[in-house]
Amino acid sequence: MGTARVVFDRWSDRYAERMADVRSSAVRDLFAAATRPDMISFSGGMPEIRRVPIEAVVGATTAALRDSGTEALQYGSSEGRPAIRQVVVDLMAEIGVRVKPDDLAITAGAQQALDLIAKIFIDPGDTIITEGPTYLGALQAFSAYQSNVVCIPMDEHGMRTDLLAEELKRLGPQGAKFIYTIPNFQNPAGVTLTPSRRRELLELAREYDIPVIEDDPYGRLRFEGGHCMPLRALDDEVIYLGTFSKIFAPGLRLGWVIAPHPIMARFMLAKQAADLCGSAFAQTTAERYFADTRWRRVLQDLTRAYAERRETMVASLAEHFPAEARWTVPEGGFFVWVEMPSFLDLKSILAEAVERGVTYVPGDAFFPDGRGRNCMRLGFCYAEPDAIREGVRRLAEVLEDRLELYRAFAAAGALPTVDDPTDERG
Amino acid sequence: MQEKIAVLMGGQSLERDVSLISGKRVCDALEAQGYRVLALDVTPDLVTTLRSERPDAVYIALHGKYGEDGTVQELLEFLGIPYTGSGVTASALAWDKALSKRLFRAEGIPTPAWVTFTAAAFKQMGAATALDLVPGAVGGFPVVVKPAKQGSALGLTKVDGPEGLAEALLTALSYGDTAIVEKWIDGLELAVSVVNGPSGEARVFPPVEMEPKSGLFDFSAMYTPGETDYYVPARLDEPTMAEVTGMAARVHRLLGCERVSRVDMVVGGDGVPYVLEVNTSPGMTETSLLPMAAASAGMDFQELVGHLVRSTLDATR
Repeated sequence: MGTARVVFDRWSDRYAERMADVRSSAVRDLFAAATRPDMISFSGGMPEIRRVPIEAVVGATTAALRDSGTEALQYGSSEGRPAIRQVVVDLMAEIGVRVKPDDLAITAGAQQALDLIAKIFIDPGDTIITEGPTYLGALQAFSAYQSNVVCIPMDEHGMRTDLLAEELKRLGPQGAKFIYTIPNFQNPAGVTLTPSRRRELLELAREYDIPVIEDDPYGRLRFEGGHCMPLRALDDEVIYLGTFSKIFAPGLRLGWVIAPHPIMARFMLAKQAADLCGSAFAQTTAERYFADTRWRRVLQDLTRAYAERRETMVASLAEHFPAEARWTVPEGGFFVWVEMPSFLDLKSILAEAVERGVTYVPGDAFFPDGRGRNCMRLGFCYAEPDAIREGVRRLAEVLEDRLELYRAFAAAGALPTVDDPTDERG
Repeated sequence: MQEKIAVLMGGQSLERDVSLISGKRVCDALEAQGYRVLALDVTPDLVTTLRSERPDAVYIALHGKYGEDGTVQELLEFLGIPYTGSGVTASALAWDKALSKRLFRAEGIPTPAWVTFTAAAFKQMGAATALDLVPGAVGGFPVVVKPAKQGSALGLTKVDGPEGLAEALLTALSYGDTAIVEKWIDGLELAVSVVNGPSGEARVFPPVEMEPKSGLFDFSAMYTPGETDYYVPARLDEPTMAEVTGMAARVHRLLGCERVSRVDMVVGGDGVPYVLEVNTSPGMTETSLLPMAAASAGMDFQELVGHLVRSTLDATR
């Protein structure tokens, strides 16, 4: 009997180089364990969709099909139907951004816009600049095009523009292809870029002639504090990404991109190749939904619910978490960012947390280079307040238990001092 | 009338995902053979369901804690329901790698040198002050640090020098209260599956050789397609092959395994097969090692599952 090499995937030597770094991770499997019924999940970023009145959506869908069924079921234009783009124009005007329907395109969520922007800007090896930590989905979209991501640390006022200036100087002219930022209630850090830093960021971008991509999924979910002008309101050259996922529903997969016309022309070429056009059905439904003013009450109701959950989470953290823990208090959005002492590895501790019935996302998921293992993102958007209290309590027990173990190692001098750049965070 | 088989899967362990895949495939295989199949996720209703449904046997497709450590086996014995796989003692022994390695050593079965630490030894007894003794105790670096009780190589780290040891121990201890530091043996990694034949005799399937591209057969190497090359039967010379299969059968009997087990080994540069651990509830996914070995011996997945269930039912007659 001869030896046979067992082959599960006979195409494995045919795949593109750019997918080579994408591997199965143990964290992914831990999240699979997290599907058990009693699990309290702080790991997701899912909106509280239970509060969207289904009847209103049924009405919008029915009206869309009855009144414009042949359009809803047909291919549409690549940039999106004029009526939905007008909805976006009106939404943008409310936050101080004046655009015309021609300045924007509808995408399949903001995520598609991220992918297409990466596609039109990034050659293998190109450097791009993001906040550190930053949105995991953006890192995934950018890394698929083999970019080199440089992370600028943040403090409670958002991206450190002084460090951005240093980095731009170091990279030199043409050093980076673009700057990607989430200025409002950043995912995952929960912090908001202050008005003065917004101006500094734009000045630096002008000085170095680098496009700025402003990702603003949470901007309208503000609990407190003053309205901050979007970067796009301060500078017409900013590429702005918006989404219906948080103000309506992610299931429709509707987002938009606003960009200067030359960039938009490139973007549309890429988009036509990717999907010909978005879903006209989803677009007509959203047009109808936003034609009725009820959406404002729903959004208010949602925002109040998120605010209550943020309150509950922050209060529970103060009550239960170890003294060594530091966390951000977001003025809106979905996420609290927790930082533990640098020696604590929250990636490995996730296993124990899952065992105890609570999940979070370890911080290193939000960095391109393994930093952030002593941090975690806690989403307060989806769990009810009682579950949030219980989840934080469980998590605190796990951390306390781990800290005791780490202290025993530290006391024996057995722990190497970890040089963690995230310590720069103020 | 065909017998009713309850397939236990899922549960609360960290290997829930893998177990659900194994369980689904087992259900399909049993249904294809005409059994009445009851797919059961492990929830607090489990006992009530088993009592009202009264299956003729339970197929345990659980992996990890409570499914593999004797917990569910003890419960099924109490309920008087026959189940596939090993009994309580063999399950508990195999699940605890620190214990099974002690048994191997006592019986003269080669196993890599190791030391065991519990979380309590660090927290309450200052064990961290003695980490400098570890290389001497196991014969130097590199070492593998892993949880004593966990499957799918979760929490496993290869450590090349003293500076990585503490961190690897802390990682392993996140997956359970006991960690093992084991001497790394450079060599051929093997999974040797054993089933009991019709008259109870141990039948050893052709050993499967794993060649992970990263050099370490960890979680990622196990579940990312293309990360590991597998060879069946393993590329061994005849005397070593005979030694490996003989040792697998011996270990299967020593632990008291019933119906099926998978013995993981590494053949060192010295030609000696070292036993690493025994798995009493081997994975049954499309890329799992036991079905791969059975297929190489001419037994397809349906036959394999059918054999395990039939022998369980026959044993109770």
